[in-house]
Amino acid sequence: MNLTQIAKIARREYLARVRNRAFIVMTVLVPLFLGLYVFSVPLLSRSGSRNLRVAVIDGGTGLGQPLANRLRSIGRPSITVTDVVTVAANDTSSRDRFGAAVRARTLDGYLVVEPDVQSAPTARYVARESSNPTLIRELRLAVQSVALDKLLAGTGVDGNEVRKTQQLTLDSITLSDRGERPGGFQAAFASTMVLGMLLYIAVLINGQGMATAIVEEKSSRLIEVILGAVTATEFMTGKILGVLGSGLTQLAIWIAVSLVALLQASPALALGAAPGFDMSAILNVRLIFYFAVFFALGYLLYSILFAVVAVTCTSTEELGQTMMAAVLPMVVALMVALSVIANPATTMTRVLSLFPFFTPLVMLARVNVLMPPLWGVWLGVAIMIATSAAAGWAASKIFRYALLMTGKRPTLPELMRVVRAG
Amino acid sequence: MASTAALVCRQLVKVFDGTRAVDGLDLTVERGTIFGLLGPNSSGKTTTIRTSLGIYKPDGGSVELLGSRDPLAVRQRTGYLPEERGLYAKMKLREQPAFLASIRGLALAESDRRASVWLDRVGLGARAASLTRELSKGMQQKVQFAAAVIHDPELVVLDEPFSGLDPVNSRLLKELILEQRARGTTVILSTHRMEEVEALCESICLLSHGHPVLNGRLRDIKAAYGRNTITVEYAGAAGRLDKIPGVQACDDSGRDARLRLESGADAQRVMRAIFDRVEVNSVRLDEPRIEDIYLEKVGSSRVAEASAAQEDV
Repeated sequence: MNLTQIAKIARREYLARVRNRAFIVMTVLVPLFLGLYVFSVPLLSRSGSRNLRVAVIDGGTGLGQPLANRLRSIGRPSITVTDVVTVAANDTSSRDRFGAAVRARTLDGYLVVEPDVQSAPTARYVARESSNPTLIRELRLAVQSVALDKLLAGTGVDGNEVRKTQQLTLDSITLSDRGERPGGFQAAFASTMVLGMLLYIAVLINGQGMATAIVEEKSSRLIEVILGAVTATEFMTGKILGVLGSGLTQLAIWIAVSLVALLQASPALALGAAPGFDMSAILNVRLIFYFAVFFALGYLLYSILFAVVAVTCTSTEELGQTMMAAVLPMVVALMVALSVIANPATTMTRVLSLFPFFTPLVMLARVNVLMPPLWGVWLGVAIMIATSAAAGWAASKIFRYALLMTGKRPTLPELMRVVRAG
Repeated sequence: MASTAALVCRQLVKVFDGTRAVDGLDLTVERGTIFGLLGPNSSGKTTTIRTSLGIYKPDGGSVELLGSRDPLAVRQRTGYLPEERGLYAKMKLREQPAFLASIRGLALAESDRRASVWLDRVGLGARAASLTRELSKGMQQKVQFAAAVIHDPELVVLDEPFSGLDPVNSRLLKELILEQRARGTTVILSTHRMEEVEALCESICLLSHGHPVLNGRLRDIKAAYGRNTITVEYAGAAGRLDKIPGVQACDDSGRDARLRLESGADAQRVMRAIFDRVEVNSVRLDEPRIEDIYLEKVGSSRVAEASAAQEDV
């Protein structure tokens, strides 16, 4: 292997990747979109602050008027109670009237409270938009509160004291060997999703670019000229190093941006986030370090996979169809990684995080949620390096065999024979 | 012992899926000459070229390229224009010969400089910043030729360099090839265009089914046939020239005809018979053209097949 030759192939591939419009656009847009995603999760649930017009139907519980007062006191979303009616159990006329108003959009919804012989009163909210979780929670609390007051009336127990015990919060703190830090499902989910998507998108764009270039070189027969000057192994190594370089460039840009965000803008970020949503769970130096390690390794392994897929294709159409095979493990890995967040300590999780095609995302999710023992993390790293080395070795054999093939695609058994034959 | 020839193949064998594409080929290309590698399609020309350049490993025999048993060891001193060819569609025109020059061992700055020089030479200097896909096929072909010789190789292999070029560009290319020879480069030319072979090549090898059926200096090959061909230009009605005694074969277009004589036939008597049959404008007794020799050696049916295949490309 001639290093100068490899460097020249790598240089061309690197320049072709980073000059590509998709590279430039994604390097800027991806962090932008992911940033929006992270912030929009808490923001979305706070929306809907406009005034809602709600009618109350009391089916004989006696809660109608107190409930209306309670609803008026809700600040977000603010509620105007348009009507409070008390009706007999089998009287549906009010419901029909309010239903028509909701359909005509003169009313946003109506709340029905009815007595239940066996338990507490039941409540039902009927509206065009009935899925806003904040509103539903507020309505439930309001009904609960007035029902409680009614229940406690005359017992001498202070309703406010009871409510206080009901509002007790439970904080979740992640305890690891390095100490405590606040954590939570939401933060871990968002950060794993973000980091996973960054890796996924970087590999997809640059790997696909390289794969297309290889197929182009094959189908245009440029490869014959190139192979007159470099060996197949030098060619492949240069390609993979070039595309790895482009990925690391992207990574460096993203890390630089996030470090700047971490140092300069963290107070501002903390203000923008919802309570219970800790930005430091996403942007902290330890996580960024492991992200860089797993990004580089995952990127390398998937680049080799993409290169092998590309070299067995003879046209870009074929490549498009076959690419799915290389992308699939990453999609599965992302799904596994997200499920790991809920169960970070199971045996299944440990095993899956050591499977090299899953390690970058799944191990990262583990590091993110519940720091595994260091030897476990570095075992994953070692397995990935060993797998990449073996994959590179097999790939160079496949390259030697398939680079000059045209028309016919090599079959899988054929390729396995080639790799075994050495 | 290392030879002083540019390329020596000894008993070269290359097998694909049980078919012997090249079957015991002996070939010597002297330095500083233009060598014609001829033969119908699938006769083993491209395989011979690829094996000679080290792109394929031979299955038998040996290759000695520029004195080296390992063709890849001298790859920075060789150039190659493959028959089916392309360039990077999205790469700027100037960057392509520059890249190919750099992997042939030139420093990056020197590669860039020469790329500019060569684009000017083939008349594409103004298009240096264009993307390749914006250029016509003929323009791309000139760039590819430039890329094959940009690093001043000692030996350059040109596989069908004239295909698709108009007469002006063909002339330019022919001049560039002769210029390569003038500076001492060995040129191996694989082509179906016999007039270019006639005009450019000193030696040829004619392959058929992986075997050489003709091999040697063009002058010697022709001389071995002797002056056995009569070329006639005539006016008026055609006169069944093929019926003249002593004529083995006749290729008559209605305005001119080429007659191949039987061995031992009296050329003077045949020429007198021609005057009897048609109104002659000119008549000449000559050695056979390379095309005639090709046709005789390979067989006209194979040629028809080959030219039909050629038109498909």
